Amino acid sequence: MSAQSVLSPMGPDAARIADLATILFVGAAVVFTIVAASLWLAIRGPSSIRRALAENRFVAAAGIGFPVVTLSLLLAYGLWVMRSANGPADASNAVRIGIVGEQWWWRVSYRGAEGQRIESANEIRIPVGREVVFILTSTDVIHSFWVPNLGGKVDMIPGRTNTLRLRADRAGVYRGQCAEYCGGAHALMALEVVALPEAEFEAWLLAEADEAKAPADDAAWHGQRLFLAGGCGSCHAVRGTTAVGMVGPDLTHVGSRRSIAAATLPTSRQNIARFIVDGQHLKPGNGMPPFRIFAPAEVDALAAYLAGLE
Amino acid sequence: MRRRIGLGRALTWAAALALAGLGFVALAAWSGIYNVAASRGHWLVTDRLLRFGMENSVETHASAIAAPKLDDPDLVRLGAGHFLTGCASCHGAPGTPTDVVAQHMLPPPPDLKERLSQWTDPELFWIVKNGIKYTGMPAWPTQERDDEVWTIVAFLRLLPSLEADGYRALAWGDVSDGPRAGAEIALAGGGAGAVAACARCHGSEGKAPTSALVPRLHGQPAEMLLQALRDFAEGERHSGIMQPVAAALTERAAIDVAAYYAGLAPLPVRADAPAETGRALATAGNAGIPACQSCHDRDALSIYPRLAGQNAPYIAARLHAMQQAQRARTPTQDIMIPIARRLTDRQIADLAAYFASLPP
Repeated sequence: MSAQSVLSPMGPDAARIADLATILFVGAAVVFTIVAASLWLAIRGPSSIRRALAENRFVAAAGIGFPVVTLSLLLAYGLWVMRSANGPADASNAVRIGIVGEQWWWRVSYRGAEGQRIESANEIRIPVGREVVFILTSTDVIHSFWVPNLGGKVDMIPGRTNTLRLRADRAGVYRGQCAEYCGGAHALMALEVVALPEAEFEAWLLAEADEAKAPADDAAWHGQRLFLAGGCGSCHAVRGTTAVGMVGPDLTHVGSRRSIAAATLPTSRQNIARFIVDGQHLKPGNGMPPFRIFAPAEVDALAAYLAGLE
Repeated sequence: MRRRIGLGRALTWAAALALAGLGFVALAAWSGIYNVAASRGHWLVTDRLLRFGMENSVETHASAIAAPKLDDPDLVRLGAGHFLTGCASCHGAPGTPTDVVAQHMLPPPPDLKERLSQWTDPELFWIVKNGIKYTGMPAWPTQERDDEVWTIVAFLRLLPSLEADGYRALAWGDVSDGPRAGAEIALAGGGAGAVAACARCHGSEGKAPTSALVPRLHGQPAEMLLQALRDFAEGERHSGIMQPVAAALTERAAIDVAAYYAGLAPLPVRADAPAETGRALATAGNAGIPACQSCHDRDALSIYPRLAGQNAPYIAARLHAMQQAQRARTPTQDIMIPIARRLTDRQIADLAAYFASLPP
């Protein structure tokens, strides 16, 4: 199994697309073989076959009739495949997840048990076997949401809301990425979809709705103080603190996410520290300025605080 | 055919003549026969030719410059403050004759009172910003602060009409340069020491800066003030006005003067009530602009300046300067320049008014 491939479908929608691809590739190979054989026979074949190939009836049947029938069937099949992926979200128990494309990360929001909005970023968790409806939009430029193992791609367009219905049939981590060039760091705008068994997902969502954990040790307390006094909270929200910024990703549970900077680096205390100071080298052009104002020990304290926000 | 030979011969002669000319120049330079003494002055013809070339050059290069509005007292007062630091020692000032040493330069620095009327505002701007080759006139220490250069032009426009008292009030503010006891002068120097006094522009205990384009330093964090002085001194923060002053301070003096201003009580604001239009952006930010107060209120790190009660024209000028900066040079510019670039002129004006009216 590969983490990002249309060739290993993990849900019904991706399976339909994989089937369509298989039909297209096999069909094209068959047609190509027939054309090549006909061409060879028309040049080198016995005169009786060459005469038959030159007849108007053959040209009309193979050159007009065959393509019209084949392409019409393919069109109908293709429309049916698309309809089932983009159709109205009728499943009443579907999980609804809002995703906003930003340069160059994903703002993710869930609905909690009481209907409250639970904000997260750059990682999407979904239950296995249940319909998931993604509500896709953008605030700046056109992005495109694509998780190849689960389904087709859908553009995220400023001022417009698109929906995408998917289902994962097996638990696992599926990588996705922005599939529409959206500026400098487009190539580093990726995400991971973590498909969990239903019960695990519900437990996780409950924890995700909570406020941030209090710092666990002195270093983390120091880090929290620096985070708030250093102005980090003007861009990043950490629920339960005075940090309520909406400019960058919500960091309330950043320590429990698998990666940072939109699946650019695996989450670790060391990588968080690197990103605070050297983010413009790790992800050139991203919206966060390098915080060289912090001494190494301060950066480490900040990283300890953030990595502890599980 | 004959014509081609004629052309070839002419070219050969021209090349030979040019080569001979170059040889003569090289020989003259090598022999040291040309006298470079400033004491001897120029021949009249050299003087006329140099002046002719200089005037035309300034006129041509200044032709595309548009002057902003200059009759603003804040511009004039800041320009006057720096004129005393940077210009008066060579050019003299009302009530102060030109420095004797400077008078013996070649060409001698002109008496501005007589010469200023010859130049337009853009021409004066160009001269102050770029300096003039082969004279003692230096370029502005940074090429990225046109706003500072215009303050000098604003002051120069007023200079011909100033008497000694009027000039004193503008350039010295509340700082006194004498009279002092004879022993004090003998041991610590005459009035010149006070030229470097920060308070001439920035004010002192209970006294506001003379120009609203100059920041109020009263009660700012010492760490921020010291870092600003270091950044100015190293040219990391561009300012033709602050760089010479900061570079002249020893590390000890910089620490002490930062501590002095940090220890002063913040000045009261003049407004009765805070200006409301900038409040939302300053306290809550928006989707693309972080809230100013996260870094600029009392509880923030002491590497950040406090903005409550700061002069509005200073805040606005600083944000505009950051918008125009070619790149960030210091760790705090890394953070602030991208934010400043996202602000509209309207937002800058609103934020400046809000902070200027907010009691510290």
